[in-house]
Amino acid sequence: MPAYKLTYFNVRGRGELIRLLFAAGEIPYEDVRIESDNWPELKPKTPMGQVPILEVDGEVICQSMAIARFVAREAGLLGKTHLDQARADMLLDGGIDVGKLFEEMVMEKDASKKAEKKKEFGEKTLPPFLALYEGFAGDNGYFVGYSLTWSDIAFFNMMDFITAEFPSALDGYCNLTKVIKIVKRVPGIAKWLKERPITDN
Amino acid sequence: MAPKYKLTYFNVRARAEPTRLLFAAAGVEYEDVRVLREEWPALKPNTPMGNLPILEVDGVTLSQSMSIARFVARETGMDGKTKLERAQADAFVDELQGLVPKLGVLLIFTTDEKEKEEKAKEVDQLIEEKLGKCEKLSGADGHLVGNSLLWCDLVLYNIAQTIEEIYKPGTLQNYPKLAKVYATVKANPRIAKWNAERPTGKIDI
Repeated sequence: MPAYKLTYFNVRGRGELIRLLFAAGEIPYEDVRIESDNWPELKPKTPMGQVPILEVDGEVICQSMAIARFVAREAGLLGKTHLDQARADMLLDGGIDVGKLFEEMVMEKDASKKAEKKKEFGEKTLPPFLALYEGFAGDNGYFVGYSLTWSDIAFFNMMDFITAEFPSALDGYCNLTKVIKIVKRVPGIAKWLKERPITDN
Repeated sequence: MAPKYKLTYFNVRARAEPTRLLFAAAGVEYEDVRVLREEWPALKPNTPMGNLPILEVDGVTLSQSMSIARFVARETGMDGKTKLERAQADAFVDELQGLVPKLGVLLIFTTDEKEKEEKAKEVDQLIEEKLGKCEKLSGADGHLVGNSLLWCDLVLYNIAQTIEEIYKPGTLQNYPKLAKVYATVKANPRIAKWNAERPTGKIDI
């Protein structure tokens, strides 16, 4: 079994999807969390001056989604056929812009601008996205085919962040609610959700 | 018999060209549909996510340009020889692809001169940052990853084509390894044939 070492800050942020995938696959890995103070020294040693990075038997992979896709494959969660894999990829890509807008809102330091962004996100951005994805999710609770793929887990992770600000976001969305339920019950994920460090973001 | 794959996009390179380049490099036939701006509103509600490109294959419609490109890369064996190569190729694509919409907005959609100047500064900074990172990690023999033509080389080629032929020719001189990747792709006989024969729009970006 290869040795996996993930390095990121002590936040969920861009690392949590990777951690969830390791958990789902029940793959042991070293979950290194660095302090902001130690980052300047580490930065030039990383391929693109960013984290997360994943070291696998001495090789270093960068870019959070490239790493996540790599781990999804290791965990058998990429999708069974090329078409299934492409569907999973496409659903993930489709969520990225929404994720970025949410992040912008959370990071906004000016209180009144933040309130404005939150209103815009909650009223204009989120509802059409969820309506669209409700249609993509099967009524069996999977986005792709009839089994769990990393797109289900990525959706769960994204909603984990979003429901912290919009607790009733998924009310009325039966298929999406099913996706969340199924992901939470994956044994490795259920265990991780109980044990993972609690961080603000 | 109709080709297995049908790609639909506007009459530009931008987000669909990596996929077209993959089909060309692999010698795989496909339907290369180019819609006019006027035709788009009627087509839009019939796409999965209200955007282009889309790829239709086996009764399934895929959207999201890089998911489509990665799919075709997998189908044609150009996504990477090992799991590690695939991840490295993904990483290059993730880093580079952000330049495509920025170049598009600057070169097509920005007409006000002052705004153009400001946007150009932003684009130049991004180019320096992203090409700098990729130059550092690139292979030295004309491929970004490993020793064979992969989809990440074609993604770079598409962007570099816009920079070298339209935006700021000579930029690649500062990035010799990337310049070698660009030259290697350009010299590929199937790619050269595609470039000579492909349709071009008003602005070839």
